[in-house]
Amino acid sequence: MSGRRARWLPLFAVAAAVLVAAVTVAIVRREPELALAGSHPAALATELVAAFLLIAASIATWRSSTVFAALLAATALAWLVTEWNTPAAGPAFTPGLVLYAAWPPLLAAAALHGLEQQRPSRPAAVLLVVAFGSGVGVLGVASAAVFDPAAQGCGDCPTNQLLLAGAPALGGTLGQVGLALTAGWAVMFSVLALARIIRASPARRRWSAPVLVPAVAAVLLWGADAVHGLERGFVSNDPTDRTLRLAEAGALALVAVGVALARLRARRTRAALAQLVLDIGAAPLPGEVRAWLADSLDDPSLALLYRLDGGEWVDADGHETALRPPDGGETTRGRVAGQDVFAIIHRRGLLDDPTLLSELVTTASLALEHDRLHAICRARLEQLRASRARIVAAADAQRRELERDLHDGAQQRLVAVALAIRLARRKIAPDDAAMETRLAAAEDGVRAAVVALRDVAHGLFPAVLAEEGLAAALEELSEQVPRLVPRGLPPGRFPSDVESAAYFATLESLRLTEDDVTVDASADRGRLCLVIGAGNQTDSAMLQIQDRVGAVGGTATVCDGQLRVEMPCAS
Amino acid sequence: MRLVIADDEALLREGLARVLEDSGFEVVGRCGDAETLLPMVEAHRPDVAIVDIRMPPGHGDDGLVAAQEIRRRHPDVGVLVLSHYLDSRYAARLLEEVPAGAGYLLKDRVSEVAVVADALRRISQGDCVIDPTIVSRLVARKRARGPLDVLTPREREVLALVAEGRSNGAIGEQLFLSRKTVDSYVSQIFTKLDLHESPEANRRVLAVLTFLRSG
Repeated sequence: MSGRRARWLPLFAVAAAVLVAAVTVAIVRREPELALAGSHPAALATELVAAFLLIAASIATWRSSTVFAALLAATALAWLVTEWNTPAAGPAFTPGLVLYAAWPPLLAAAALHGLEQQRPSRPAAVLLVVAFGSGVGVLGVASAAVFDPAAQGCGDCPTNQLLLAGAPALGGTLGQVGLALTAGWAVMFSVLALARIIRASPARRRWSAPVLVPAVAAVLLWGADAVHGLERGFVSNDPTDRTLRLAEAGALALVAVGVALARLRARRTRAALAQLVLDIGAAPLPGEVRAWLADSLDDPSLALLYRLDGGEWVDADGHETALRPPDGGETTRGRVAGQDVFAIIHRRGLLDDPTLLSELVTTASLALEHDRLHAICRARLEQLRASRARIVAAADAQRRELERDLHDGAQQRLVAVALAIRLARRKIAPDDAAMETRLAAAEDGVRAAVVALRDVAHGLFPAVLAEEGLAAALEELSEQVPRLVPRGLPPGRFPSDVESAAYFATLESLRLTEDDVTVDASADRGRLCLVIGAGNQTDSAMLQIQDRVGAVGGTATVCDGQLRVEMPCAS
Repeated sequence: MRLVIADDEALLREGLARVLEDSGFEVVGRCGDAETLLPMVEAHRPDVAIVDIRMPPGHGDDGLVAAQEIRRRHPDVGVLVLSHYLDSRYAARLLEEVPAGAGYLLKDRVSEVAVVADALRRISQGDCVIDPTIVSRLVARKRARGPLDVLTPREREVLALVAEGRSNGAIGEQLFLSRKTVDSYVSQIFTKLDLHESPEANRRVLAVLTFLRSG
C-alpha cells in the first residue's frame, strides 16, 4: 500500500459523498414522484444512510486495503448517482444516464478484491469485464449515445450531452441486452462468491463471509430488478422497483456492517496477540506461541519453525526439523529485512492472505521473537550437548582402544617374558645360587608388572562393560571393590554412552567416599535411573559426574545424602 | 597327560608348551585362534585344552565361546581357560555348560608351573579350579542377600577353598582341621545348597558354581 497515495482518500471520499448526496437530495426533492425508492422522505433517508455507512466502512479500511476502500467509496457514490437518471437532474442528467447502473459492478469488484487483497482469478476478471461492460458500457454509454430525450417524448428532460444520433429502437434493444447481461453476471457473481466462501479456510471465511454474503444479496437484488425491467428495456420506479431498491439499500448497509465486523475481528486478534505477549512475557513456555497460532488460525496441526544462522530450521524446543509440509499442507515463510526468520507449516490456503500474515507478524512480533530466541538458545544447547557427548564418546573409544592394546600387547608379552625367565632358570647350573635368586626376583618383578598392568587396563575401560553391559560391569566392580553393593540392576543393554556414564558415576562415588556404596538402578519409560547411596555426597564433588551424565542429556542431583542419576536411555 | 594349547601370542604359547613339556606333559597341538581349536581338539582328543580367553577372529571372548563348545561336544576333554580378566562371570559361564573338568586361571600365574600343573591334573580328574585371586575377591564382597546366606562363615571358608580346586585333605591342612571334619563341612554345604540329588562327582563343581553366582 502506498501511504502518500492513500492519505487523501478519506478526505476526498467524505467531500465527494457530501457533494453527491447534496445533489441527490436536491434532485429527489425537486421531483419526489420520480425517486427510485419512493416519494416518502424516509426512502431517501434510507438510501443516504446506506451510502454513508459504506463511506464510513471505506474510511475504516483505507489503511489496510486502499483498493478495497476506494472501490467501496465509489460504490457508495455510484449508488446515489443512480437517482440522477431523471428529468429533474438538470446538468447532472448526463452523468446519471451513464453511471446509473455502475454501482453493482463496483460493489462486485470490491467484494471480489476483498479486504484480503486477493489477486483476481481468471473467472473473476472475466466476470468484472462483463459486469462493467453491461452496466457502464451497454446500459450507460451505448444507451446514452442513442437516447434523444426530446424525440422520445421527454420534453422536460435536460440535454443529453452524449447523444450522437437518436435511435429509439436500438436504445430499447441495448436496454434489454444490458439488463439480460446484468441478470446473467449477477448470478455468476453469486456462484463465484459462494464458491469462494465454501473453499476458504475457516479462519479466512470468518474474515470474508460477512462482506461477501450481503454483497451477493445486493447484486442479486439488482439482478432481480434487471429481470423485472427486461420487457420494457429499462429500470424504473414501479412498486416492485421501489421495494427492490429499498432492499438493495439494506444489503449495502449490511456490507458496511460486514466490513466493520472484519475490522473488529482483526482488532480482537491483535488484542489477543497483545494479551499473549503479556501472558508469556514473564514465563514463556516452548510451544505456547505455536499453540496460540494453531488455535487462532484453527489448524491444530500447524507447526512453527525458526531458522538458525546456519540455515537449519528448529521448532520451539530447538529440535532440528525439516521444512517439508505434509500432504495437503504448505509452508509460509516469515521474513524480516529480506531474511527468513520463521516459517509456518499449515493447511493449504490458510495463510495465502498477506494481510492476515502481516497482521500476525506485526502484532505477534514480540512473542515470535521471544519464542524464536528461546528456540535458538535451546538448539544451541542441544548442539553443545551433542558435541559434549561426542567428546566423551571419543574419549571412551580411545580408552577402550588403549585397553585392548595393553591386553593384547604388553600384558601378553610380559607373561611370555615371565615364562622365558622360568625356562632360563631351569638351565642354570645347580650351584649358581646367586643367578637363581636374581632370575627368581626378575620373574616376580615381571609378574608384578602384569598384575599392575591388568589393573591399569581395567581402570581404562572395563571390557565387561562393553561386552556384557552395566549390570555385569557393576557386579564385576563389586568383586574388585567390596565396598560396592549393587542391589537392583536392570538386565539388558542400554546405549553404550549411557552405560559408561552410569558406570563412571558409580566409580566416582566410590572414589569420593570411604564408606559402603549401594547402587539401585531401574529402567522405566525410556529413562535409566540410578540411586547411589554413598554417605554424604556433596554438590561440589560431583562436577565430574554431572559432566559425564550431562553429556548424555541426563541429570545428577543430590537428595538426602543419595546421588540420583537419571538419563534418557531409549535406544 | 596330553594337552592342546591355544593362544594367539606365539611367544607365550611356545613358552608355555616348553615349560609344560619339561614338567612331563605331552603337548599334542598348538594353535593361535579359536576357529582351528575345535577341529584340533576333535583330531587329538587331548585330556585338557588350554585356551586363551581373547583370541582371533573376534578378539572378544572367542576363546571362552570355543571352550564352552568343547565342553558341550566333548565332556571328557577338560578345559583350562587363561585370562587377564578378574571376572567371576567368565568362570561361571565356563562351569555352567558341563559342571566338571574345567578351570579358570589368571595369565600371570602361568610361569608358576606347579600351580598350572596341579590345576591340569585336577581338571583331568573332573574337578574344577578357580583362580584364588578371583575366589578371594568373591569372599570379600558385601552382598545384600545371596544364596550363600544359609552357610556359616566357616562353611563359606571351606567352599572358597573347594572353588580354588583344593582337595578335602589340602583344605584340612590349610585350616588346621582333620580330614574328617572337612568331609563333614563339605557334606553340610551340599545339604544346605540342596545338592545331594546331584551325582557325586558334580556336587563340588555345582557348589562352586553357586559360589561364583552368589552375586
